[in-house]
Amino acid sequence: MADLTTDTTIVGRGNKDGARLFREWFDGLTQAAAEERGGAYVFVMGSLVELLRTFDLPIVFPEINSLQTAVRRVAHEYLNEAEDYGYSPDICGYVKADVATQLRGGELPMGRIPKPAIAVYTNACNTYIKWAEIWERMYHVPTFTLDVPGTRGEGAQTWRGHPDFENDCRYVQAQLQELIPLLETVTGIAFDIDRLRESMREANTMSRAWKRVLELNQARPSVFNALTDGTIFLGVANGFRGSPEGARYFEDLVEEMEYKSANGIGTLTDEQYRLIFVGVPCYPIFRRFSEMFTELGGNFVTSTYLRFASGGTSWGFEYDLDHPIESLAEGVLISVRDAMDNMFFQTGILLEMFDTFRADGIVYHPIKSCRTVSTGLADNRRALMKERDVPSLFIESDMMDRRVVSEAQLKNRIDAFFEGLAARRQQAAIRDP
Amino acid sequence: MSYTVGIDVGSTYTKAVILRHDQAIVGRTMLPTGFKLTEIAERVQQDALADAGLTPDDAVYVVATGFGRHQVSNADVKVTDITAAARGTTLLFPGTQTILDVGGQTMKASRLGDGAKVKSFRLNDKCAAGTGAFLEKTARYMGYSTEEIGPLVATSKEAITISGVCAVFAESEVINHLSQGVAPADIMHGAIVSLVGRSVQLMKRVRMEPEFTLIGGILRFRRMVDVIRKELGTDVNVPEGDLVQFTSALGAAVLGHRRLAQLAAKGSEAAS
Repeated sequence: MADLTTDTTIVGRGNKDGARLFREWFDGLTQAAAEERGGAYVFVMGSLVELLRTFDLPIVFPEINSLQTAVRRVAHEYLNEAEDYGYSPDICGYVKADVATQLRGGELPMGRIPKPAIAVYTNACNTYIKWAEIWERMYHVPTFTLDVPGTRGEGAQTWRGHPDFENDCRYVQAQLQELIPLLETVTGIAFDIDRLRESMREANTMSRAWKRVLELNQARPSVFNALTDGTIFLGVANGFRGSPEGARYFEDLVEEMEYKSANGIGTLTDEQYRLIFVGVPCYPIFRRFSEMFTELGGNFVTSTYLRFASGGTSWGFEYDLDHPIESLAEGVLISVRDAMDNMFFQTGILLEMFDTFRADGIVYHPIKSCRTVSTGLADNRRALMKERDVPSLFIESDMMDRRVVSEAQLKNRIDAFFEGLAARRQQAAIRDP
Repeated sequence: MSYTVGIDVGSTYTKAVILRHDQAIVGRTMLPTGFKLTEIAERVQQDALADAGLTPDDAVYVVATGFGRHQVSNADVKVTDITAAARGTTLLFPGTQTILDVGGQTMKASRLGDGAKVKSFRLNDKCAAGTGAFLEKTARYMGYSTEEIGPLVATSKEAITISGVCAVFAESEVINHLSQGVAPADIMHGAIVSLVGRSVQLMKRVRMEPEFTLIGGILRFRRMVDVIRKELGTDVNVPEGDLVQFTSALGAAVLGHRRLAQLAAKGSEAAS
């Protein structure tokens, strides 16, 4: 007889530990704010946390702070404040929530964030650059744009040995070599290559484990919800990259997911449909949004979000610790490029996901306030459907602004999508009994 | 003899259809939806049963659809209006490939595949643009009721261009045209042309193919049908009379009979 007892010390540990780490992270930021230590303001797509950590900079992810205001249902207060200050309703919701946070002296429901000492960001999102200019004007702090060359066309990625790739690597490396002295000036701390090696070693452990966690959800039934659980994992993947806590967390997470997979413990008791999510989650109704799928037996087994919002680290690139700077450049190039590919060249990626995760459908979720991830999604969907007859749903809302989230409108479309999935399954059963 | 009830709790009207096992409609009722959805669903059901000369005990299966379907307390099954409309439409016009359903606050286009299954669908955006609410408000700004839209637009000689389909901003556009001496009938006609433009766009997005069937409360205005027919350059099916508003409720009742047949088949399997 199968052993039906569940090891409760393992199952659910990832979510619990993730929440704890998150609290600790914000306690640390609150402490830094109280001590008036400036932080490194970074973004999820190419944070360079491995490097920044070696300069003892408190790490602040304004995107994560902003989405937390939506999850905690206070985003509208922040958005209204930024709009009253003069920002248009059409501006990215994350930006507006951050502007209001800055106007409030860094106050957030989770704690208080320090002011920036420097902002470091890539070109993976065009808004990053304009966003950092706000801090530059507000605080007169240096900003550093890391220009990461993207893929030239769908399926046109190049690798080591290819002249384009080598040029791109050198280009990124040269920028990193400009960034390091700037960090030394800002912090007054001399660059220590051995500390960087150590940080990169921890990041390697995390990358390996993160890739494995994502693969483990190919299990049937799937072992986590890519939308809800996945967002917790993403928080740790970003905030704790390059740290021993982050590496240990992901090793534990692999153990948990392997345990669940080996014991057939699914995230849903009755998984009927396996879905892929494309876009950014609907944070104003975060749980409810997911429930509208799970209560009909649908689980998100993977998403493009898990890839691009982890800065492409899901790719699993591991640094060569013998050549830290060169390898950091290569890793950043490959990861950030992959993050961008997951937004801009989705068709092939989604078809591959569809097959490897044995998915039943794809849910596109364009959002009002992020043009970067939403523009072109309708065309992407059309391109995908041209390639293959894949069931897909297109629903629109927002990542921050509850004024443009209509649960009734979403529900009707979702219900109809599931009716379509059921009809397809029925027809397939008749066709191939 | 078995009867099913199909209830469509729409944004503006709630409809009920009583369907006999031989697919004959034996009773139907429609009432304004209002705000008490559970109560109105009960009332239309009772009235429709009374219309059919039946009692509540005669209704062996109840299927609810429409945006308020989750509030129908005695529903055996709840389905979206997309699926229900597909069933109702194909009962009336079996050759239907594309459905356009324009209701009080929604506009939906569906493309059907084999066996009346919905292959793809598109709904209007999260606003009343391009729905009955737009026509209703345009009429109201000119002092006409919804029921007067049909007779009013019948007198139009030409459609005036209405640039937007926003129900909220319709007023300023209407006032502008009235101040320039444009006849209300031509403004109403323009509003319909504008609405049709949006409907056809939606149909294109589901890769429309003939036969086309038009349903929903707004299609009771003949001019709307005429403009769509002209725009598509082909004939369209429209359920007769007020049946155009009952198609989704009818579809729900059809699904009820299908479900009964499935249950009967399972029962006989279990018995054998």
